[in-house]
Amino acid sequence: MSNRWVGKSFATFVLLPFCLLMAFPFVWMLLTSMREQNTIFNGPIIPRKFTVTAYKDAWTSIEFPLHFWNSLWITSVTVIGVLVFATLSGYAFAKLQFPFRNTLFVLLLTTLMMPSTALIIPLYLELKSLGLLDTQTGLLVLYISGSAPFAMFLMRAFFQTLPDELIEAARVDGGSELTIFRRVILPLTRPGIATVVIFQFLQTWNEFLIANTVLRNTDALPLQPVLFTLMGQYSTNWPALTAGLTLSVVPVVIVYVRMQRQFVAGMMLGAVKN
Amino acid sequence: MATTLTREDVVRRSAERTSYRFGSPLRRSQRIAGYLFIAPTFLLFLAFVLWPILYTAYLSLTSWGGFGSPRFVNFDNYTRMLNDPVARRAMVVTLVLTGVTTAILTFLGLVAAVLVNVIWPKVGVVVRTILFIPGIVSFVVSAVLWKLIYDPNIGTLNRLLGAIGLDSLQHPWLADHRTVLPAIIVVTVWGGLGFNMLIYFAGLQSIDPNLYEAAAMDGANTLQQFRHITVPSLRVVTGLIVSLGLLNGFKAFDVIFVMTGGGPNHHSEVLGTYLYSLAFGTTSGSIPQLGYASAFSVVTMVLCTLAVIAQLWLTRRADR
Repeated sequence: MSNRWVGKSFATFVLLPFCLLMAFPFVWMLLTSMREQNTIFNGPIIPRKFTVTAYKDAWTSIEFPLHFWNSLWITSVTVIGVLVFATLSGYAFAKLQFPFRNTLFVLLLTTLMMPSTALIIPLYLELKSLGLLDTQTGLLVLYISGSAPFAMFLMRAFFQTLPDELIEAARVDGGSELTIFRRVILPLTRPGIATVVIFQFLQTWNEFLIANTVLRNTDALPLQPVLFTLMGQYSTNWPALTAGLTLSVVPVVIVYVRMQRQFVAGMMLGAVKN
Repeated sequence: MATTLTREDVVRRSAERTSYRFGSPLRRSQRIAGYLFIAPTFLLFLAFVLWPILYTAYLSLTSWGGFGSPRFVNFDNYTRMLNDPVARRAMVVTLVLTGVTTAILTFLGLVAAVLVNVIWPKVGVVVRTILFIPGIVSFVVSAVLWKLIYDPNIGTLNRLLGAIGLDSLQHPWLADHRTVLPAIIVVTVWGGLGFNMLIYFAGLQSIDPNLYEAAAMDGANTLQQFRHITVPSLRVVTGLIVSLGLLNGFKAFDVIFVMTGGGPNHHSEVLGTYLYSLAFGTTSGSIPQLGYASAFSVVTMVLCTLAVIAQLWLTRRADR
């Protein structure tokens, strides 16, 4: 018993300072965002006076609401699109019999790990020739097509856990394949759907490279590229910059804290199934 | 519905199923539904994943500024890569960053998971949340945050060093070629540790506790138990973590692009940032080098494929 206590105390002794270190950048972000502009150079490390001026600055001067809305809108459409495509195809690959099923699946699988860094040039050129460059539609097409295969993979794993007899019985009862999918299968797949939604939400909300490359029109930009531009413009106005960072992180933290369980389960499944 | 099926029913139906002719209505409707259900995903995949892969492979064999048509140059871009000092440095930096970060992340992830596993469960939940949060904010956010910390004049790090009397260690962390890579590694580890810890933690929980009891009865101490039970049991998880670390390293872009842009003097240049500057370079008036940049895309894809193969190999070895 005493041995246990030694272990637990040792773990606490090591982990707690380490946690403080890990949390420090966020604590610093909050402190800086509530600092008065003239105290960032030589003020005390913990400010004597807290102010929300920086949040007002960030909110008005960089049209924060507009970009926040862009991010929210782009993320929502992507999540819905990916979800529809991935549940349909995941179900087909898990439960329907059709010729070349495995060949097509393996083809999707082998390219799952291709990073957008490597594909950004042809994707840019492709959008250009389709006339979709600098449009949110173009960005959405790239987001959905890039993410659907992985989400399909996750959903397939969930569908595989459902018994075949269920579908067979529904078929004998005379349901069409689409009816069976919608009425019998989907209601049973809530946890899987929640996982894909959370995973996709975080991924899309945080995406930078593609958005920064295919969108040039400032009004259409989501938050991440805007934060990047801000860093250049506001390199002296730290409170406003950190206030912008803080605001941009709020939705992500809310989603994570509210749905931590499904999220962790999903990450794990996704990672392990690779 | 399913629960009312008797065992005989199931057997009979599956017998019927196998006796369906190829053209029977049930089979055909399944076939049609199958293709219709995968069609949207698959068509998008063909157009925006498979085609770009093939197209970039083709472009890597050409010389092209974006106007007119690409000129076929065989493997010139690849030989040029071998003779380009910046390309060589990008390659070395990519491999060093990837190797070092993967090693640190794997080791620290395991240590953190073991510690979280022995701590009181309620404290463990808090610790897990704190360690994980850096991994859910965007790379842009973490890069900007750390850039503020590393800033030479008013950065937190230098101020803290000054406050505790270590002025001599104050440093332009991101502008000095000796400290820029360690600085980037810190940011990557900070962001990736929570995820690895969590996967290892799940792995630890699935180890049969009887193994430890048996070992303890045989007189094995904690360290021996760790070496001979914990580490071997986690081999599949380790394979996964290593290969994800390699993948993330090979495709590194956001953090470096935002923090240093590849500088100072290309000392933090990686494949991703170099290909980006070749294709979409910010220097006005420069002609994009799409062919040469595509060669780096191909190299990145090959490296990522190797990482996946490495994982399959590690997992297979663990199965034996």
